Amino acid sequence: MTGSARRSDVARCILLAAGMLLVFAAVDTALAQPFGMSRDAAPPEVGGLAGWILAKQAQFYLMLSGTIRAAKSDGSAAYTLMGISFIYGIFHAAGPGHGKAVISSYMVANDETWRRGVALSFASALLQAITAIAIVGIAAVLLGATAKAMGDTVKVIETVSYGLIVLIGLRLLWVKGRAFLRLLRKEPEAHEPAHHHGHDHGHDHAHDHAHDHDHAHHHHDHGHDHGHSHDNHHDHAHGHSHGHAHHHHGHDHEDEAHAWGHAHGPEPQELTGKHWFRRGLAAIIAVGLRPCSGAIIVLVFALAQGLFWIGVASTFMMGIGTAITVTAIATLAVAARRFAGRIANAKPGAGMLILRGVETGAAVLIILFGVALLTGYMVSERLMGV
Amino acid sequence: MIRAVRLGLLALAGLLAAAPASAHPHVWITMNTELIYAPDGSVTGIRHHWVFDDMYSAFATQGLESKEKGKFTREELADLAKVNVESLKEYDYFTVVTADGVKSALNPPAPDYWLDYKDEVLTLHFTLPFKAPVKPRELKVEVYDPTFFISFELAKETPVRLVNAPAQCKLDVQPPRKLSFWEEKKLAEEATDNPGNWGAAFANKILVTCL
Repeated sequence: MTGSARRSDVARCILLAAGMLLVFAAVDTALAQPFGMSRDAAPPEVGGLAGWILAKQAQFYLMLSGTIRAAKSDGSAAYTLMGISFIYGIFHAAGPGHGKAVISSYMVANDETWRRGVALSFASALLQAITAIAIVGIAAVLLGATAKAMGDTVKVIETVSYGLIVLIGLRLLWVKGRAFLRLLRKEPEAHEPAHHHGHDHGHDHAHDHAHDHDHAHHHHDHGHDHGHSHDNHHDHAHGHSHGHAHHHHGHDHEDEAHAWGHAHGPEPQELTGKHWFRRGLAAIIAVGLRPCSGAIIVLVFALAQGLFWIGVASTFMMGIGTAITVTAIATLAVAARRFAGRIANAKPGAGMLILRGVETGAAVLIILFGVALLTGYMVSERLMGV
Repeated sequence: MIRAVRLGLLALAGLLAAAPASAHPHVWITMNTELIYAPDGSVTGIRHHWVFDDMYSAFATQGLESKEKGKFTREELADLAKVNVESLKEYDYFTVVTADGVKSALNPPAPDYWLDYKDEVLTLHFTLPFKAPVKPRELKVEVYDPTFFISFELAKETPVRLVNAPAQCKLDVQPPRKLSFWEEKKLAEEATDNPGNWGAAFANKILVTCL
């Protein structure tokens, strides 16, 4: 391979990174159409699937009121209500305001594992249910507050939650963007044709023999230090095995690996063990703080029927349904990120750059969501329209 | 390989884009509407009677004081009516009027608006006066929420009445059509180029032709 061919390869990779960012941007506009439109003319949707989901949501939501009424006289209707709430939650999460976008972007930016995605989705959905219950429980049941007072409370909570989303995005951008820039500056040195070849092979090798004892140990150490996914371990293995053969190269890689590790946060210990949860806590709160207006209306309606506890149970069922949908979408995001990661490993220099670029893009996306929500360009769901 | 990544991400983008359907209705309104005519045959106002669904009615009346439990008088609901009518301004009362193809401006509701509570549901009564009365050959009144948070439905019986309209005026009421899957898809694609018009597909159209 010639030097120029290599360069065009890099160019192509950068183009691809730009393309990915565009895709994310497209997702953003499709989600929100946030700019260049009046604040009330909120999200039109794409695809017939949207219409179908919309119809299903409305259908199940309407069934809720009838079933709650029925539960007043017929105990078994309570079970039906739980089922309907669950299904409603699944469909409803597809609507705006349930954190799919924020959680997915967060997962991509942080290279979180699938399991963590499930945990984040469930924790935020359950928190959302708890906020709704707390608001109605405290405001309506204890204080006898009016709908307007509840609406005002929700508005304050919303602002805090959107602000948090912006902060999370900014922090990620700071960390990821710096790593991206660092890599970008270093990029040209890292590419010499011969090494490139060595890489591809080396990588496959490391991949196949992930269970090699010596290496495994090495991985473990790193895993603890950096709290890292497998992709990154390979990088380490990679740098190591090549360190001897191509001294130069090993060094370059060591640096890249370094960038990886630190990209996750300034404190290494923050990245180990249970710390990912603490790191994710901000995301959980940002997403979960904002209660779902549907849940609040259902709770107040149940309260009016003298069945507040049935409303509470129904809200939790909705939360579980919501979590399942958010998990599914976040899983897809993680899978795509993983896939890109594997390819990036096959193309070390440029591939890494793409990943960094995607991560930075995801961080920017989170900021955009937060700002759009804060400024009211993106209306997730209003409660006090009428 | 790169193509594969691109495909994967595109698929993800497609999914993310398709899945987040807009907010579905959380409020259902069944509407009765009257068009008010002056003796000279011009339209002067639109009088709405909006019946809310039971869940929203329970929500909206939460915490309101009333003498008799579970019942609310017009006076007890006066404050809520005020909040409703005032917040509706921001949404132009979800009412779009076109006279011979020209959009007509409406004034805020006349002060005689009120809410009543019957059979556990709220009904909001209010009249929107025209800024300048119009005497068009064709008058079109559309009622819808572009964001589809509120679903408007025409009442089953006499959803629209003409009050003191000249004899030659003919009324035609068109509820939103049920769209097929493919129509919905097409509409959604158009909505991408022309955002904010999603809810218009669900508009209730009132047409009055005076020849």
